[in-house]
Amino acid sequence: MAKDSVDVCIIGSGAGGAPLALELGRAGFKVVVLEKGAWYQQADFVHDEIMNSRRNFFMPLPWDEPHLWRTEGQPYARTNEAWTANCVGGGTVHMSGYFYRLKPIDFRQKTELGAPKGSNVVDWPITYKDLAPYYDKAEAELGVSGNAVPHPFAEPRSGNYPLPPLAEHPVSAEIDKAAKSLGWHAIPTARGILSKPYRGRDACVYCTLCGSYGCEHGAKSSTAASLIPAAIATGNVELRPKCMAKEITVDAKGLAKSVIYLDADGVEQEQPARIIVSSCTAVESARLLLNSKSSRFPNGLGNDNGLVGKNLLFSSFGQSKATFSVAKRGAELPWLTANMPFVNRSLQDFYVMPDDRFGFRKGGTLGFMWAHPNPIFAAVGIARKGENGVFGKALKDKLRTYRDSRVLEFEIYGEFLSNDSTYVGVDPNVKDKFGLPVAAITIKRHPLDFTMTKFLVDRGEEVLQAMNPDKVDRVGTAGETTILQGGTCRFGKDAATSVLDADCRSHVVKNLYVVDGSFLPTSGGVPLTLTIAANSFRVAQKMVASLKK
Amino acid sequence: MTREDELDALVPAPDGDDDITRRVFVHHLTFFGGGVVLLGGCKEDKPAAPPPALVKAPLTVSHKTFTDAEWATLSAACDRMIPRDEDPGALDAKVPEYIDRMLQTEALQQMRANFVPGVAALDRRAQRMFQVPFAQAKPEQQDELLTLFKNSGEKTGEARWYEMFVVLVMEGFLGDPSYGGNQGEVGWKLVGFNLVGRNVKGDPKAPYDGSQRLHQLVCGGGKGC
Repeated sequence: MAKDSVDVCIIGSGAGGAPLALELGRAGFKVVVLEKGAWYQQADFVHDEIMNSRRNFFMPLPWDEPHLWRTEGQPYARTNEAWTANCVGGGTVHMSGYFYRLKPIDFRQKTELGAPKGSNVVDWPITYKDLAPYYDKAEAELGVSGNAVPHPFAEPRSGNYPLPPLAEHPVSAEIDKAAKSLGWHAIPTARGILSKPYRGRDACVYCTLCGSYGCEHGAKSSTAASLIPAAIATGNVELRPKCMAKEITVDAKGLAKSVIYLDADGVEQEQPARIIVSSCTAVESARLLLNSKSSRFPNGLGNDNGLVGKNLLFSSFGQSKATFSVAKRGAELPWLTANMPFVNRSLQDFYVMPDDRFGFRKGGTLGFMWAHPNPIFAAVGIARKGENGVFGKALKDKLRTYRDSRVLEFEIYGEFLSNDSTYVGVDPNVKDKFGLPVAAITIKRHPLDFTMTKFLVDRGEEVLQAMNPDKVDRVGTAGETTILQGGTCRFGKDAATSVLDADCRSHVVKNLYVVDGSFLPTSGGVPLTLTIAANSFRVAQKMVASLKK
Repeated sequence: MTREDELDALVPAPDGDDDITRRVFVHHLTFFGGGVVLLGGCKEDKPAAPPPALVKAPLTVSHKTFTDAEWATLSAACDRMIPRDEDPGALDAKVPEYIDRMLQTEALQQMRANFVPGVAALDRRAQRMFQVPFAQAKPEQQDELLTLFKNSGEKTGEARWYEMFVVLVMEGFLGDPSYGGNQGEVGWKLVGFNLVGRNVKGDPKAPYDGSQRLHQLVCGGGKGC
């Protein structure tokens, strides 16, 4: 038996779903949020690496709920790649909170730079100006700490960040010097972490264990710590954790009617709503639409043009690490022994190249940070495998060297060129523990992505070398960060070439919205969490207006 | 089936995972510390046969996942992975106890099904090569065998088992002591992990139990978790 109908049913409570829930609740509309994962409280966030990183606290186990993954032309392998956290707040709970904005050129990439051959880059149906006020709003509602400094690649903004920057490790000043010596600009990285108490939340205590952990102080600006409590406080929003959406049904007119889901006890339920919103990540929203088949939509909900799941985007990834021996260099480099966690420096000098002399035009961002402190992860990386693997005395010596060193690293958030061969489908033959066909990801990297990433990694290594470390090791130049995902339901003006309109509403199902990273036509050269939240605030305003009609 | 390929059968290789080598360095793992391959492989499409009874033979010590023979093999292998020298090693941290206890977790039965037969295979290989059980082989011989598993090629069952083994050892050596390993925090001391706050706001008097907490939070203490 169906539950009472509500105004809006939102599937997912992360960066996409939570802003909508908050704004709709404030406007007086009745909202139900269905969240697949558990509703953890602050006290549940324990610095336990086994729980956080090695079990199903955040990510499902690959035998319970696999994704399928293949490079084009290869068979599928099962993996837990491309999941983000399954819990109230989604990926914002364990994020590091690098809160960058996109730049105006990201919205007009095809016009400004052209679409490289083999890519299908398009302009966005909105401009940076359209989104800018909602970036302001997202930064204020979530709580972002930073310092906007003028630099040649700065995006326009109406003022500084709502909170002053977090205290920095003294190495940040060393990075500033190194970048300056090379003619570049090390700029402060804004963080979704509170530097001061804010709206009833506590400030960061600099515990040093941040990214990949939940924050037991609520200082990290996850939606679970910021927007969700505010949404619940409106009295109009009901959040149901451990509820797995199976399907969005349609009525005789082809409008979205209800969400069929399994509740916390595994019992099937039906939630009807005037508007239904999918906000469960680019990969999982595509999967939900593709699994929502009906006689009106035999290829999946809103998929008349076959584009649902297409144009999947990740973030191009590269990384290098500089090792400084504390034992050997501690006297010479007194900052080595400081224990502050945050480096918060970025380089955007190569966000857009003035010409194609290096083979590419659209680049990205380098973010500097201390190596992740998770000792299990570090030790597995040190032990390695295959011919390069070590064990026994050799391994122990390496672990002791690690103990006596500090590792400064950078990672790349680079443009990931969209193309016709990178997409999400569903595999009817492989089902998860709920009996639902799983998402099947096919990926084909554009060669320019690697050209670009290698160029950025080379520049980052020049910065590290200028700091005179004991050694610099390259981790790689040809990766993708799958927790940063977008595409699959492109928004655009033309119903023939996009899934959503400029307001993130389905072109064909007029009361269906997809509000997470799925709308993104291009990846940009920054992590996208803030952009996803800002866009959700933008869509919320449109949706409130349409509901009031 | 020959003995040489028995591990391939026991630890089925996911189809066509050529790209996994490239992806292993990928960022995802930066956060999630091991991820995909390491969690152990794949589930058969047809319903898996129920795992063998949790206790396979009369056991004389506290281990539940492994037979006495497997336990001896596992302990010896852990000892070669992180031997005691001037600093404590895997046995001091009680890494085998951690692995034994962890593989009792209901949610990890798939991993258990992949891992345990590899321990037995290691022992059989020792018998064949050195005519003694792995635990009674000389340290150099044990190292030779572990190296053989380690280097046996990306797609082989031996290499997959070795990868799983490394991760389990590191979890047991460097994980929260409440899971049974890292006793006396000897692993954390070795790598200088002194940032541990656990829950900074937690009650220092209340003992923390990660397994129990996880069980409560993820599945509400119910079955199948």
